[in-house]
Amino acid sequence: MKTFTHINADSVAEAVKLLAQYQGRAKLNAGGTDLLGVLKDRILPDYPEALINIKTIPELSGVAEDEKTITIGALTILADLSAAPLIEKYCPLLKEAVDTVAAPQIRNVATIGGNLCQDTRCWYYRYPDEIGGMIQCLRKGGKTCPAVVGENQYHAIMGAKKCFAVSPSDTAVALTALDATVTLAGGSGTRTLPVEELYTPLGNVLNPDELVTAIYIPKPAPAAKQNFIKFTLRKPIDFAIVSVASLTTLEQGICTAARIVLGAVAYTPVRAREAEKFLTGKELTEETASEAAELALAGAKPLAKNAYKLEIAKTLVKRALLGQ
Amino acid sequence: MKSYRYIGKSTPRKDALDIVTGRTKFIADLTVPNMLYGRILRSPHPHALIKSIDTAAAMRLPGVKAVLTHADVPDWRAGFPHHVGILDSKVRYVGAGVTLVAAETAEIAENALALIKVEYELLPAVYDPEEATQPNAPQLYDQFPGNVFPRDNLVFGPHTLNGVEMGDPEQGFAEADFIVEGTYAYENIPNPLPPESPAVIASWEGADNLTVWLGSQGPQVFKAAFQRRMGSINLVSYGSPVGASYGAKYASWQYALPAAALSKATGRPVKLVYDKAEHLAAFTLRLGSRIRGKVGMKKDGTVTAMAGDWLVSSGAYSECTQAMVAVGCGEAQLMLRCPNWSLKPQMVCTNRSASGQVRGFGGQELKCALIPILTLGMEQAGLDPVEFFKKHYIKPGDGFYWREGKWWVCTGMDYSQAIDRGAATFGWSEKWRGWLNSTAVSGAKRRGIGVGVHGNADAGEDVSEVYVRLEPNGAAMIHCGIAEHGTGQRSSLCKMAAEILQLPLDRVFVTPTDSLVNPIEIGPVGSRGTYAMGGAVIAAAEDAKRKLFELMAPKLKAPPEALETIDGMVYVQDKPETKLPWIKAMQFHGSVMGYGRFESDFSKPNFMMIFTEVEVDTETGKVELLKVVGATDVGQIIDPLSLTNQLNGCLGSAGIDSAIFEETVLDRQLGRIMNANMIDYKWRTFAELPEMEHAILESPFSTHQFQAIGMGEITPSPGPSAVLMAVSNAIGVRIHEYPLTPDKILTALGKTAPSERMGKQ
Repeated sequence: MKTFTHINADSVAEAVKLLAQYQGRAKLNAGGTDLLGVLKDRILPDYPEALINIKTIPELSGVAEDEKTITIGALTILADLSAAPLIEKYCPLLKEAVDTVAAPQIRNVATIGGNLCQDTRCWYYRYPDEIGGMIQCLRKGGKTCPAVVGENQYHAIMGAKKCFAVSPSDTAVALTALDATVTLAGGSGTRTLPVEELYTPLGNVLNPDELVTAIYIPKPAPAAKQNFIKFTLRKPIDFAIVSVASLTTLEQGICTAARIVLGAVAYTPVRAREAEKFLTGKELTEETASEAAELALAGAKPLAKNAYKLEIAKTLVKRALLGQ
Repeated sequence: MKSYRYIGKSTPRKDALDIVTGRTKFIADLTVPNMLYGRILRSPHPHALIKSIDTAAAMRLPGVKAVLTHADVPDWRAGFPHHVGILDSKVRYVGAGVTLVAAETAEIAENALALIKVEYELLPAVYDPEEATQPNAPQLYDQFPGNVFPRDNLVFGPHTLNGVEMGDPEQGFAEADFIVEGTYAYENIPNPLPPESPAVIASWEGADNLTVWLGSQGPQVFKAAFQRRMGSINLVSYGSPVGASYGAKYASWQYALPAAALSKATGRPVKLVYDKAEHLAAFTLRLGSRIRGKVGMKKDGTVTAMAGDWLVSSGAYSECTQAMVAVGCGEAQLMLRCPNWSLKPQMVCTNRSASGQVRGFGGQELKCALIPILTLGMEQAGLDPVEFFKKHYIKPGDGFYWREGKWWVCTGMDYSQAIDRGAATFGWSEKWRGWLNSTAVSGAKRRGIGVGVHGNADAGEDVSEVYVRLEPNGAAMIHCGIAEHGTGQRSSLCKMAAEILQLPLDRVFVTPTDSLVNPIEIGPVGSRGTYAMGGAVIAAAEDAKRKLFELMAPKLKAPPEALETIDGMVYVQDKPETKLPWIKAMQFHGSVMGYGRFESDFSKPNFMMIFTEVEVDTETGKVELLKVVGATDVGQIIDPLSLTNQLNGCLGSAGIDSAIFEETVLDRQLGRIMNANMIDYKWRTFAELPEMEHAILESPFSTHQFQAIGMGEITPSPGPSAVLMAVSNAIGVRIHEYPLTPDKILTALGKTAPSERMGKQ
């Protein structure tokens, strides 16, 4: 691994100041579970000059509530989040999602902010430099996405135009279903936006001097049924091939509100708005769930090797809605 | 059954405490004084000529001691035939070595790589073995026209087996009630992925002295193979505890030769440790195997003829493909008693990281494609595969051609009882519903069962020589060049010697795996530890005991035949009170050396059958392995836990899971391996093990005095074809390729359009 400067930030303000000072040549280090692998494999064209350690910022950890909202500090460790009574009580689907992330050792150090901001797992993007050099793909300023004509079995089936990488974050899918927002702090102040809007086709909306500080979840209706299903080849370690989070409110068998979110199908968690609209006011049955699943994937355009993801996504939507 | 003090009893592995407390030193933990660190710059191109290499900037980097190109390295050759050098002016796969660097630290060596400038002239690449043999295909080697490796090599002597040709296939097909044909492929080139990556320290001293410390399953083989090829140097090889190998790290020249070249150039020891990316993308994989075959069968299942073209893809070079093909062809005959054969292998090179030896050694690769073709006939005849395999597995008195081309007659065992016991343990007859019928259906989930078989006659392969040294204080040292690669075989050899010498187990030792103090030893491969190496240890211990008794006889005033020994005391058998300690025979400054030799015996095949039950989610395509039962007969268990560990090891190491998710993913546009990391290369974790149970029989075997036969190598080999059968039965549709990932299942079920076929651009 190349050498770098390591700086402990004591406050959000200091972290922001350091980010601004390094003008994109520094990386934030929270849990570091992904970052160190990225550095060791030299997958990025520009190696950071400095790592800014934000674990030393005291106020960014923990789960709290007020009357309407659950607040999660960005540095909250995934294992702590999973164990938090407030999460279990109000957002069981987030707990389910957290528990599917990586493996216990990783969840003991990885943070929720880091999970939201982790880089894509696209294996072209992640190709190790030492085996013939990194791949200069579109996401790294290259001209093409090699996945389009290559090994695209894990790539996007929706919404991709040039880069076909998918967002790897399980918690982002859950948080989108929960209608969560995220607060970013930067040189020009703070801003809050829906988790759904955090991602862009080639990464995320964070400016070079910004970091995630907190996540806010509006307390869901107590009657809402929450489900999260992640499809992987292996139970531990794996990133999602497809995941689905759903939140449905039923009154006497009739669906009065539905939120359905697909993960690992696009660069961002994808709300299945047509399916949500379709379900609202209907009885939730095998047939309506299947129809909702079809609608959820209506816009999908699979590549040569990932049409199977479409089938899996439909199955997961149906199963999530029916609580199977 | 005979009762022993140690044999068949659970005893602690002698190295266990050090391993579990982290004290065991692997190569990565070793340093030698004045040591440098080596790194290899690797090719970005699957096929290219190197036009120029500018090493000047790298050489100027402080701490860099050598930068070597193909023009600078010694012409040491490896592979079958000897065709691979350390570096070449032509690269044939992404990840091929281009330049070697040695530096004061690993970081400096790594940074130096980035300063080397290489100009390439790109050549077209070919990845599919069938396309590689077409007239206009890019040619990898001038000396191998058509990209075909020669069959007429002499790896196992002048008659090395390179196919199965026997009887009159035409006549056999004419006698058949029906003929089935099919093509099946096992081409996912999995990586057996031992936890410890390849690693070496090489130290070149003076003009012609080379010492290597190797984390290899066969460290002595490096000396045996390369001493002369490196210019008749004095080569000393030290073995080290091996963080598993699964056959793959039997080969070591890929990293040992570059380290030796760097050490020769710098005059300092050089350590070279592959990281996981190199291990996955630039070391060795399983062979690719594709068979177009046909089987002639009688209605009762008797096979009258078997014929096929076996396309073997070996990647960028042949590490020992011809040897694997020879053993695979021998093993095919053990599994299928059939008078008429025509199985023709063709070994092809393509522009990907090379294939090399992995447990199953040619036979697993062959069977994963051959058994499914046989099942087409079983299906047509409506036969239970367990009964078919029982009928067709070799029996005493049957003959077969083995790897060296000689006809052997089986003097081993009829394994029918082991098959019956395995089937009963699994509950086969209760679950079997006929071909392409699921065992149970629950909503979208369908269960199926399958069975596979494998056996190897290498359990008695090759020569082993061993010395056993008795020491006056009542201890024994076994001089044997065996590396410990995770199976516990070094401990098991101690148990054998301790049993014969009746010593406490903690008074029996094995020498370090050094060529300085041991006879040449090819090591623990092909399940030969128990019979071949064990046979030599037993003979040496008996020889030592006889010599001890001869020395002691005058002192005890009894003939040597009347003596016995226990715990370092020799006594007269019918007068146990008349006894003397060993020291009285040898004096305090003496010892007794016993010598034992084992000669090759290929007449005793071992056996492994695997039964599997899977559940397939027909809506997601996910295959879950529910249950695995292994069945074998080992004659006599040496160490119960070691044996169980070997049987449980059938899952990973490019075994059963190569039917489920283990695969190396090659991008055929770039020639790059995309999943060279521990997340995208799918290996099974301990968090999801299936239910496992084994049926282990102990029918005394005509080997050595402990009547045991080894079978550790072959435990995974019947697995993949068993899973393929189980999945096909579960979903009612045949699948012709591995691994059975969701895309293939959903395609077979007609739920998604087929992806591009593997192997096509």
